[in-house]
Amino acid sequence: MKNQVRTLRTQRNLAQGQLAEAMGVSRQTINSIEKERYTPSLPLAIALARYFGVPVEEMFGDEDS
Amino acid sequence: MTRIRSRAITRSKWFMPLFCLALGVVMLAAFWLGGQLGVGLFSLAALAGFGLFFLLAGRSETIRGLAGAGRDERFAQIDLRATAVSGLALLVTLIVTWLVQIAEGHSGHPYDWLLAVGGLAYLLAVVFFRWLS
Repeated sequence: MKNQVRTLRTQRNLAQGQLAEAMGVSRQTINSIEKERYTPSLPLAIALARYFGVPVEEMFGDEDS
Repeated sequence: MTRIRSRAITRSKWFMPLFCLALGVVMLAAFWLGGQLGVGLFSLAALAGFGLFFLLAGRSETIRGLAGAGRDERFAQIDLRATAVSGLALLVTLIVTWLVQIAEGHSGHPYDWLLAVGGLAYLLAVVFFRWLS
């Protein structure tokens, strides 16, 4: 699923490891989300959106829409 | 609460090493009862070594995930898929072996009841998880 995680993370000068620690997941999981290989669960998606202060639908979007 | 506590236990870095050790002790006891103390001691040593490997392994995500400490929702999904694949491989092996046994004129035991257990477990799991969700 398309997402803005990498964009938002780099805008805030955060390393993948820092974001991973804040979310309670591994650095590889953040990397997989950014590379759109892994779609996070709804709780993690909401946690990421809250962390960056953006709506979930702004952070994650369907490719076709 | 219990689920959270059990998750915390399985995500401890000590879970897999201690599990390996416990399994080794159980295997030692089983082999000992069967009169094969040497094989039992070898099994215990092998599993203790395996547990030590998990405890001292580096920062590999795969090892940390298997050991429990590096397990997050993505690794839990990987684990679930891997479990499904291994279950499928086991069922296919059992079906093929059972068919070969039947074709060779044997009774098909014990593969028939192992297949029955597998099929029944799958059906019960479907019913349970459907009820749960």
